[in-house]
Amino acid sequence: MKTLNYDRTVAGRLRLHVLPTRQFKTYAISVYIGQPLAEQTVTPYALIPFVLRRGTQTYPETKQFRERLDEMYGAGFGFDIYKRGDYQIVQFRMDIIQDQFVSGTKSLLDQAFQFLGDVLTRPALEDGVFRAKYVEDEKTTITRRIEAMINDKIRYAAERCIAEMCRNEPYRLHPLGKIEDLEGLTPELLYNHYQHWLSTAPIDIYVVGDTTLDEVKALVEQYFRISRADCFEYRASRSQVVPAEVNTVVERLEVSQGKLNMGLRTPVTYSDPEYPAMLMYNGILGAYPHSKLFINVREKASLAYYASSRLDGHKGILTIQSGIEIENYEKALGIIREQLDAMERGEISDLELSQTRAMIANQLTESQDSAFELIAFDFNAVLSGKQRSVNELIEQIGGIGKREIQETARKVKLDTVYFLRDRKGEK
Amino acid sequence: MRQIPYEQLKETVYCEKMPNGLDVYVLPKPGFQKTYATFSTRYGSIDNHFQVEGKEEVRVPDGIAHFLEHKMFEEPTGDIFSTFASQGASANAFTSFDRTVYLFSATGQIDENLTTLINFVQNPYFTDENVEKEKGIIGQEIKMYQDHPDWRSYYGLIEAMYRDHPVHIDIAGTIESISRITKETLYECYHTFYHPSNMNLFVVGGVDPEHVLELVRKNQEAKQFPKQGGIRRIFPAEPKEVANPRKVIVLPVSQPKCLFGFKEIPGELEECELLERELATKLLLDILYSPSSANYQELYNEHLISDNFGTDYSCGKDYSYSMFGGDTRDPDLLLKRVREQIDKALEQGIHEADFERSRRKKIGGFLRMLNSPEAIAHEFTKYQFKGCNLFDILPVYERLTLDRINRRLREHFNWNQLAVSIVRKDEN
Repeated sequence: MKTLNYDRTVAGRLRLHVLPTRQFKTYAISVYIGQPLAEQTVTPYALIPFVLRRGTQTYPETKQFRERLDEMYGAGFGFDIYKRGDYQIVQFRMDIIQDQFVSGTKSLLDQAFQFLGDVLTRPALEDGVFRAKYVEDEKTTITRRIEAMINDKIRYAAERCIAEMCRNEPYRLHPLGKIEDLEGLTPELLYNHYQHWLSTAPIDIYVVGDTTLDEVKALVEQYFRISRADCFEYRASRSQVVPAEVNTVVERLEVSQGKLNMGLRTPVTYSDPEYPAMLMYNGILGAYPHSKLFINVREKASLAYYASSRLDGHKGILTIQSGIEIENYEKALGIIREQLDAMERGEISDLELSQTRAMIANQLTESQDSAFELIAFDFNAVLSGKQRSVNELIEQIGGIGKREIQETARKVKLDTVYFLRDRKGEK
Repeated sequence: MRQIPYEQLKETVYCEKMPNGLDVYVLPKPGFQKTYATFSTRYGSIDNHFQVEGKEEVRVPDGIAHFLEHKMFEEPTGDIFSTFASQGASANAFTSFDRTVYLFSATGQIDENLTTLINFVQNPYFTDENVEKEKGIIGQEIKMYQDHPDWRSYYGLIEAMYRDHPVHIDIAGTIESISRITKETLYECYHTFYHPSNMNLFVVGGVDPEHVLELVRKNQEAKQFPKQGGIRRIFPAEPKEVANPRKVIVLPVSQPKCLFGFKEIPGELEECELLERELATKLLLDILYSPSSANYQELYNEHLISDNFGTDYSCGKDYSYSMFGGDTRDPDLLLKRVREQIDKALEQGIHEADFERSRRKKIGGFLRMLNSPEAIAHEFTKYQFKGCNLFDILPVYERLTLDRINRRLREHFNWNQLAVSIVRKDEN
């Protein structure tokens, strides 16, 4: 097992994390910008990166902007907006070829930082604010994207289950915001939001590749000019909600397969010492093809093609999802609840324990072969305030036994059952 | 063991053909924790009618290659996922038009995992009971795809293009067609297509090539395979014209999905290698419709396309077609505008600067792909079964000329060969 050491510093009140390595043929760059999820700001903050990717002061037309990326040997460039804990995170990514594989005079890493710095800090403007055309176009794009949520029924059911479960918390919000809040966002208002967003958010810049902290620091100082009062830290959030009783929601659409989704609460989150036990709980219950859900819902009862569980370690939510024949709802729900009860009773075999440990360890080790997964893992520590290396986590997993998992199981509470079904027999 | 170095890429492939005909390839990736292995047979959903030398002609139910893939995971000793889990490996498999691939990725116990992979694929175990049980599971897989608008529009387009060629048949089959599958039909397909001479093994990661090859040699020496004659794959004569120029599917979607593309006529294409045709066409589609193209920006500005607009080109020995599309507010207006844009390109030809920029981007994309052991394994096998070599991609890109791209432009875009597939929430 190799040991990875990031070199870190702060430059211009931005946190820098650099992992020098020659393992990859590329440089991977990620910039994380986070703000607390909030009703009033979720929509403008979602719209900002869409507008930023339309043009910079150097390349104001979108066509020029995209051509510039092509010229850098088809540099990968993109962004994601998602929820982590109670934060709305915007992540910009770039992925560019290391200089040794291509001919050229100016370093591609330098070119990439110049580009990314321009995207974040020198956007295309008119009359001192964002270009109106870009703002309008991107409002349409976001609207279509939010509306398109209904197209993929697996994702739709997952999002709806979370929204029902967290209806009294900011976590109910969609990371892209609300369609009705887009209309009032003028270029000027949005530009004000942008300045506030950039000057008050925790910002973390990661680079993995054949470089050094000094080189990256110099590039950031040259190309990222943001006026900020402080560096800002994330404050770990924690799910304090204890479900009183199970909330059951049935929704009807024109579907041929039913989607059964369940949301459960756990007080154990990433920063807790019990987190490795929670990972083991999720693994034994439903993360793998040897897990209880796959074996019992799919292999034994032949009810589904997929039946799995997923842990959101920052929020303290565990979800279960399965696609079933509509008339098998009660049967599938019964089998899934039996598995939850079995976890609470500590009915866990030694084989399940050793298989799950091996699978989690493998997954964590494998993640080190992908630059962006390496970055994502490290960012967990920034977000939660809990430093825990891959090696430490694997070691902790190894020490988790039946007793610890059973204790964790007792803290996991079913909150919401959501069922998406057809319109037959609708009243 | 043969060594094939690709100096420009700083990669070396080691390969060997086993006496039973199995091709084995190893690509060491020093510094990588993970080993990724694929064991693949040249057998996919289109191989539903065939004849082995000296035997009777056979027709099998649609979806059987995929069904077989599911059933391979069951052994007399239980589920093979459990064995892989005990050895800390993630295992999986998939079936495409022309191949079935079994795979694992692991960071330890590589010898054990490799042995498990080879042995379970070379040891079929089908019973009446376990075949029946699988019908419920695959039935739910089919239903899941029926509700998936992207999948439906994709298949809708292939169905609109092809009338007889089995490429238009859903890989998983239908609930009706899989009901006709029995353990006997599964064994018949297995013994035809899972002969080592029809398969390859690819291993990539932090491994020692000689060690891997020695393990495979020993493993194969200990097994007996009857000699097998060639497999004749029988395909019906496909008409030149598209089966249905416009197909509409009704599903609850927020905006219509519109996919369209051109069906090529195999006998009427410029003679060249499959790889060159594929790369030239993909480059052409990138020049015309990548996000940095004028066409894309126009359509985006007119709010006719969204970020999910894309292009693709697929080719096999006797079928090939392009695909364009994504979500749109108005399929007919989108088609009209695209027609204007393509007619303009046909008239003016492709510009040198656009060609060079796209080529540069494609080369960068290829180099980036080499970071991912999974991508290398899948792409390598895909090309190998088509008789091409993944690592020739770089020299082929370097060889391509603007003139070739312009000839391809005129050859591919034939409006009589256009088919359209639309998914929307109401007819009309």
